[in-house]
Amino acid sequence: MYRYDAIDKEFLTDRSNEFRHQVGRRLAGELSEDQFKPLRLMNGLYLQLHAYMLRVCIPYGTLNVAQVRRLAWIARTYDKGYGHFTTRQNIQFHWVKLRDAPDILDALAEVDLHAIQTSGNCIRNTTSDPRAGATAEEIDDPRVWSEAIRQWSTLHPEFSYLPRKFKIAVTASAKDRTAARVHDIGLALRQGRDGTLGFEVMVGGGMGRTPFIGQTIKEFLPATRLLSYLEAVLRVYNRAGRRDNIYKARIKILVSSLGAEEFGRQVEEEWAQIDAARADLPDTELARIRAAFIQPGLEVLPAVSDSYEAARGANPALARFARNNVSAHKAPGYAIVDVSLKAHDATPGDANSDQLEAIADLAERFSLGDIRVTHEQNLVLPHVKQSDLPALFEGLVAVGLATPNINLVSDIIACPGLDYCALANARAIPVAQSIAQRFLDADRAELVGELKIKISGCINACGHHHVGHIGILGVDKKGEEYYQLTLGGSGAEDASIGKILGPGLNADQVAPAVDRLVEVYLAERQGEERFLDTYRRIGMTPFKEAVYVDAH
Amino acid sequence: MSAEFLKALTANRLGEGDVVFWSGGQWVEQFADAELFTEEGPAEAAVALAKAQPRIVVDAYLIDVTRSDQGVAPVSYRERLRALGPTNELGHGKQALGGAAIAALQAASGAARSTGRLDLIRRK
Repeated sequence: MYRYDAIDKEFLTDRSNEFRHQVGRRLAGELSEDQFKPLRLMNGLYLQLHAYMLRVCIPYGTLNVAQVRRLAWIARTYDKGYGHFTTRQNIQFHWVKLRDAPDILDALAEVDLHAIQTSGNCIRNTTSDPRAGATAEEIDDPRVWSEAIRQWSTLHPEFSYLPRKFKIAVTASAKDRTAARVHDIGLALRQGRDGTLGFEVMVGGGMGRTPFIGQTIKEFLPATRLLSYLEAVLRVYNRAGRRDNIYKARIKILVSSLGAEEFGRQVEEEWAQIDAARADLPDTELARIRAAFIQPGLEVLPAVSDSYEAARGANPALARFARNNVSAHKAPGYAIVDVSLKAHDATPGDANSDQLEAIADLAERFSLGDIRVTHEQNLVLPHVKQSDLPALFEGLVAVGLATPNINLVSDIIACPGLDYCALANARAIPVAQSIAQRFLDADRAELVGELKIKISGCINACGHHHVGHIGILGVDKKGEEYYQLTLGGSGAEDASIGKILGPGLNADQVAPAVDRLVEVYLAERQGEERFLDTYRRIGMTPFKEAVYVDAH
Repeated sequence: MSAEFLKALTANRLGEGDVVFWSGGQWVEQFADAELFTEEGPAEAAVALAKAQPRIVVDAYLIDVTRSDQGVAPVSYRERLRALGPTNELGHGKQALGGAAIAALQAASGAARSTGRLDLIRRK
């Protein structure tokens, strides 16, 4: 993985010292809350319902062993012993004290982590495929380009005060695991007819109160021109994006009002004026970054591990785990392992310190020290020898991290919701738990197959409800929690925005409603159809009738 | 619901972020110990005093409180959560203390929007 150089390290230390000074001035009364709040937000520190929350950046969801151990230590020392992984591949600590925040930033800086640009109207963490560098599906390693964007966008003086926050995702496989089409900019690596690398550039995607699927404004941007083109997009947005209304300030509103074609034309016009030699990444720098991602230590192995095959045959639990959580690796004899943070009684995306330390140990032993975070709030061990899978599985079982439910009905995205968040209208976590509880039967869950449920506690849509196969939005109806269900959303390569099923339901009605939706699907599905495919074929009516049958 | 004026003053401690309640010039940790205002004048006077303590608390605002058979509780669910802690981790937050007062808050029902907090959000 990419390692910070001396300049990066010095910068993080300086930044941490600066924040320590600012916190000291705030506590001493030299800074007012109005003066201090933007400063703490620039360091990822929010004030939520019960405490401060620190959001730590995990660049493109990639962590090493020392970093995961440090996160575990921070959780134990400064929080209540756990962290919460987010849909932006970051981690949040929900019980932080302002007085401790400078010490936490120091502890993070020692392992090349920080909380810069995890808040505010700037370019946020660039997210990417958690299987980068491990899957044979990818055209190129998207981490290389994500790292280039990270370096370019960190403290970019021109783009630190945009009209609103700005999120970029980079995917390199036909199967999109980054939700690229619902980002401000989605970049999909493509290979040209002549074999050269390029990007399909999608802009104006987003969720929130006005969801849009990103539109392609450039089919094939030569990869070497990436940074100058991003600069052109950001410039057009920075100049023309609305600053008068926070609800209309995201780039999606600009792209929608201008039309993608006109927006693209303005970008081309701006791009033509940019000095490519200044703006684009020199080949030597690209080569330097690329070299940091060459995975050392992969052995030449037979394609199939006999010992693993035998263990799988003898252990039904391992076999189930293998069916749902283990995927093909580009190297023969290796596998990619998804680690679910969605045990049935767990809070989606939470990992406690013991679990984090276990993950670090297991990654050190079995995954070349590499750990990834997914935008679906799970973890990935990307480089596991098949022959190590039985031992890894046992290690995961020991800490409650072997739930075999990746992409299944209980693998639910849920934002922290009203249990923690100052913006939320309703809780999300207990709803996720009630659904998981209802589908405890693992055989039935596997029978149902891929079903992506995503829950947000408010219209800001941190829980991605708009792109859930079943989306659940918490609303405040005269002070009571209600839930609005949507069907047919997708955040993947077949992206779409879900449509509202019908009147809102109270908390107790949600899991039974999901059950009825699933029963309709099981009765109607043809062949290998997923829930989403069946919905797209038969439409809303049968699902709606099943859920609201008692209302007639 | 009666039209009785019944409010408490809440905020978060600056240095820690903890939820606190006003009680006779002090900040206390538990809602059960909060001073209840039955008239607007003293309530607003307490708000003014709280705002004059920017080194101690942030985001001070009044919340609506209701009486029932179980006792007094914040009207809005959000404020009851602030007074208790998250429902997914019953060992975290103020609810960890347990006891009759916490149980009464947990049993409280009825709901309304948190008007004090809405005002706060608008001001931001």
